[in-house]
Amino acid sequence: MRFKRNNQPEMAISEHELTAMTAELDMLHNETFGGVAKTLDEFSANLAHMSRGSNTARRSFLVGVGGAAVLGTVAACSSSGGTKSSTTPSPTSTGTGSGSSSSTTATSKYTGDLKVVALAAALENLAVTAYAGALAAAGKGTYGKVPPAVATFVTTAMAQHKDHAAAWNGVLTKASLPAVTGAPLTITKDQVAMLNAAKSIPDVATLALNLENAAAQTYTFATANVTDAGGIMTAATIQPVEAMHAAILSFVLGKYPVPDAYIGISGAVQPTALTI
Amino acid sequence: MDGNLDEPRFRELLVESGDLQSDAMAGARHDLNAYVEAAQESRFENRRDLRVGGAVLGAGALGIAALALASPAFAASSKDVMALQTAASLENLAVATYTTALTLPFIGGKSANGVVKAFATMTKAQHADHAKAFNAAVVKLGGKAQNKPDPKYLKAVNAAVPTIKGAADVVGLAITLEDVAAQTYTKNVGQVSTSELRQLFSSVAGVEAQHKAILLAVKALLGANLASEIALPPNAAKLPAAAGSVGFPDGFYPTSMASPVAEGAVQ
Repeated sequence: MRFKRNNQPEMAISEHELTAMTAELDMLHNETFGGVAKTLDEFSANLAHMSRGSNTARRSFLVGVGGAAVLGTVAACSSSGGTKSSTTPSPTSTGTGSGSSSSTTATSKYTGDLKVVALAAALENLAVTAYAGALAAAGKGTYGKVPPAVATFVTTAMAQHKDHAAAWNGVLTKASLPAVTGAPLTITKDQVAMLNAAKSIPDVATLALNLENAAAQTYTFATANVTDAGGIMTAATIQPVEAMHAAILSFVLGKYPVPDAYIGISGAVQPTALTI
Repeated sequence: MDGNLDEPRFRELLVESGDLQSDAMAGARHDLNAYVEAAQESRFENRRDLRVGGAVLGAGALGIAALALASPAFAASSKDVMALQTAASLENLAVATYTTALTLPFIGGKSANGVVKAFATMTKAQHADHAKAFNAAVVKLGGKAQNKPDPKYLKAVNAAVPTIKGAADVVGLAITLEDVAAQTYTKNVGQVSTSELRQLFSSVAGVEAQHKAILLAVKALLGANLASEIALPPNAAKLPAAAGSVGFPDGFYPTSMASPVAEGAVQ
């Protein structure tokens, strides 16, 4: 997708140099991913071993937090009835899983830590869907003229979310469970509806900010409630990235970019939001 | 203050932010209290085990060692205490560095960009909150509060300060400190003994990463001679395309620069 460039002011360093810096950063990202892949492999091995053994020996995700419901900003926007789906939601469709109640099926194939993994994959897919939908809408002129920096933000953040989803799905498939290919969450339908209703860059940036904050808080919650060391560290290394996305979005929206001294958990999406 | 800054609006944002931070602090105190209780329970269990071991060993050297290890400052949480002390030392250094930076004309003086000055002020306060919280946990666990800066990075800061010529130099130094703190806490999540402390370190790591993200963006704008766009909000149309991604270079937060758990522990 191409966006029309504005006349650029004179800069001390050229955009070409900035682009080169970005390429270097991408390289750094890929190098970092190697270490994470190792952690994930160990995580997968542990979970695969556990899934062959007894799950009852493992602590349930919600044990220790009293089963606290922690649907926050994102979920608070959700109000419609629940359905089940594991397909990737289209920004223009309304038939994807969504609902206000905790609707995890009793027979879910994802249990314990693997349920958190599936939740994480679904959340990442939802973020990818939102950003992809925003890009598609921008291409149709829905938001008017889109600044190049905004387009770069969207494409880069979306790529990182895809990497996160792939990492979590890798754990599921290695544990002989199906990858989560969509966003089967109770909150999805309303998020997609909000995306479809967005008519400006601030509208869509606000939606993205809420999703990023929810993801960061969900991973913060996960660090305390996942039992496997590899899973804990994977959540720990993704959480700051979502928080950074949120900070930049706040900055662009004109909000104070680091409003809290601590990333909370009141806006975390709970595992019961998973509808598969 | 910079002429482009809507100062009244910015002050409103800071007040809102302060309210949010107060709420977050209340949550963090709850987390800390929960952590301390969990760690104390863990220590009690450990002491009981050690007493059993001591009885088996009689009055032998190992039995004495076991009793010594059961003193309040040790127990199962010694690594946790060191991690908290090191975290406090990193926070102390950050507070000192921002304090120094705010005395410089291009950060805290008349020639400073208003947003940069406000950001430095707020960030310093957040680091002070973190230090206070980490030390409160240390003391409750029977350890000594760490009121000194991290020794390794203090040397780096002391070496860098005389070479500072402008805002970009300060921002670069701050990026290093924020990154080290974020990497350390991210790694600490996998090193500490209780779920409450994992959550605490994670919750602070994300905030330091956010500081880094904004500083990276500011650095890029300064480098591109777009200081006027360090505003809330910036004029997005004037930003170069690459500025959209410069704030979050890693898809997974690295830990290779994390400080060892004992680096800032009280000796």
